[in-house]
Amino acid sequence: MADLTLDGVTKVFQDGNEEVVAVDDVSIEVEDGEFLVLVGPSGCGKSTTLRMVAGLETITDGTLRINDREVNDTPAQERDIAMVFQSYALYPHMTVHGNMSFGLEESTDLPDSEIDSRVEETASMMGIKDLLDRKPADLSGGQRQRVALGRAIVREPHVFLMDEPLSNLDAKLRAEMRTELQRLQEDLDTTTVYVTHDQTEAMTMGDRIAILDKGELQQVGTPLECYHRPNNQFVAGFIGDPSMNFFDLELDRESEAGSSDGAATKGALVRDGFQYSLSEESLETVGDVTDVVLGIRPEDIELLESGSSVHDYEATVDVVEPKGDENVVYLEFEGAEYDGTFVATVGGMHRIEAGQSITVRFPEDAVHIFESRTGTALQNRQLSATEEPELTI
Amino acid sequence: MTDSDTSDSTHSSDQDSTANDGGALGWVRARLNATSPRRLALYALLAAVLVLFLSPLWSGFMTSLKSQTAFATTAPYAPPLPSEMVAQPWFEAWSRLQGGMFNSLLFGIPATIFSAFLGSMAAFGLTKIDWRGQLAVLLLFVAGVFIPYQSVLVPLRVFWGMVGIESMMLTAESSVAVLPVIPALFAALAERADLIELMITHTAFGIPICTVLFRGYYLTIDDDILEAAKIDGASTLRVYWRIILPLSKPMFAVTLIYQFTNIWNDLLFALVLVTSSSSHVATQKLNELQGAMVSEYNLQMAGAFLVALPTLIIYVVFGKQFAKGVAGEQ
Repeated sequence: MADLTLDGVTKVFQDGNEEVVAVDDVSIEVEDGEFLVLVGPSGCGKSTTLRMVAGLETITDGTLRINDREVNDTPAQERDIAMVFQSYALYPHMTVHGNMSFGLEESTDLPDSEIDSRVEETASMMGIKDLLDRKPADLSGGQRQRVALGRAIVREPHVFLMDEPLSNLDAKLRAEMRTELQRLQEDLDTTTVYVTHDQTEAMTMGDRIAILDKGELQQVGTPLECYHRPNNQFVAGFIGDPSMNFFDLELDRESEAGSSDGAATKGALVRDGFQYSLSEESLETVGDVTDVVLGIRPEDIELLESGSSVHDYEATVDVVEPKGDENVVYLEFEGAEYDGTFVATVGGMHRIEAGQSITVRFPEDAVHIFESRTGTALQNRQLSATEEPELTI
Repeated sequence: MTDSDTSDSTHSSDQDSTANDGGALGWVRARLNATSPRRLALYALLAAVLVLFLSPLWSGFMTSLKSQTAFATTAPYAPPLPSEMVAQPWFEAWSRLQGGMFNSLLFGIPATIFSAFLGSMAAFGLTKIDWRGQLAVLLLFVAGVFIPYQSVLVPLRVFWGMVGIESMMLTAESSVAVLPVIPALFAALAERADLIELMITHTAFGIPICTVLFRGYYLTIDDDILEAAKIDGASTLRVYWRIILPLSKPMFAVTLIYQFTNIWNDLLFALVLVTSSSSHVATQKLNELQGAMVSEYNLQMAGAFLVALPTLIIYVVFGKQFAKGVAGEQ
């Protein structure tokens, strides 16, 4: 049990004469027993961050603390952590039992009998007791995955590190293991850092998630916080599937537009005939920024037979992807020159066909506004008190 | 490819043969009929190559069983007549070679094991551990592979003259004279000083090729496994001992066979370094079988077979692992 602190952790790789910053000034505090998911696209530095925590990469700058003890220069062998690799990294010449006992043999002075009983206990917990005498080559992918997890668990380390452990499993098994891993982590209550590129895994598994892009930390928060209150456009676009729709627009304070309550006001976001009028408050939050990005999640777009609100637009259905429980609808604006498709999701029972003309509504309380240049969120969607995610920071 | 080809055709011809009458001749005919002309040509070619390859061995073996007169009057490949068949060359060869073969084993086995083992360690250091200047060191090893033995003979002789293993051992003997047993050990080593020189020389000259072979093999080992071991608490040495070494078995088979054959068959270094006749090695003894006046070919052939035997045994013992190692399997 331990807490883990990354304080301004930076990794610079030397590529010939060029310096490549893989991880840039990342600060995260992981509490004792917490399940933190590091998520981001490939090359964002999440694996490098994990490897620095593991001691497999040196830390260029910043400090790493486990239980308030700085471990920057502590070799991997002495950090008392266990790691699950994407490739599982099982020792091919050892049996499952050998794989699981190796860590205890190398890192502790426990007598053989104690090691054996711990291995057997963990093996029955993981449901791999029957496999103890087999070699990794004789196991299926799912079984290897369990052995790799068991090998980490049996050590009872301070911290678990997991590097995309589920990505080599087929979809069904992955979903099962996801649940099982969560249950295991809850039972063991061991601090866990989990790396994935899959935002679904991040959303469903993490107590908190940390989103990285280009080596920089974008946001740390609970999954719902990141979903509803993204710090910036990157987080907004990365979390959620299908991703949030974005529209590059300019603020025109002179534009005449009716507000949602029918009163005529001035001020809207416009481009190429597309116009999104803003309320007084929104205009205030946007301030003097002129280039903004309007964001709206697919499930927040309402599809209507006809509309009258100022936030209603005529659109044509381009493609419909039925998923059973919901339909993913790709739409194009009708009339306006503004091009680009956007996505909406509607209930699976909603009959909708390609080519159909339809009215879409972007409710003002559901839109996010980001500054174009920096991507910083200027305004996030409004949530009612019951919907409000619990803020942890 | 060829494997599946062969099994396919045998399979189909088996089916054909069941349709025929059960006679052995009929079965052969059926098989021949079922076999395509291309395949027949292939078998013929293989048989011809086999004869070509085996003919020297065969002739040598036949010669070793003939008396001197029979050898002079018959063709080399002709088997000896029962009346002229003799086993005496084998016994004589054995009695004259056994001392040399013993000496060869004495320095050859440690030299083989040391060069393979040190090569494996060096390769581990050059592939799985990160340090500055690795490439330069690797290039030195690679260059070492290409040093021709002939070019170092004189420096080698001079070097060992300067080191003086024999006097070192004798000094050691006298300095521990009060202890039991150990002085006698040093005395024995001093007597075999030539062989110690030979052992160290062969170990040193074997390390580069072993390193290069092991390096190629270690590059295929997944780094994740070693990192997992590291995180599991194993030090670099323990990683080598518990992970790398057990995984290296096939490549050890390759290097052990290669090194042993090389060292066992070497004559050049032995001629330069071994001076006392009691330390003469197998190849030197075999060379002495030539005789000064009369060539006893039957004796020489029997000797050659005897000297070849240990390498043959090594191949048989490590054959399976050897094939794996050559194929790059883990």
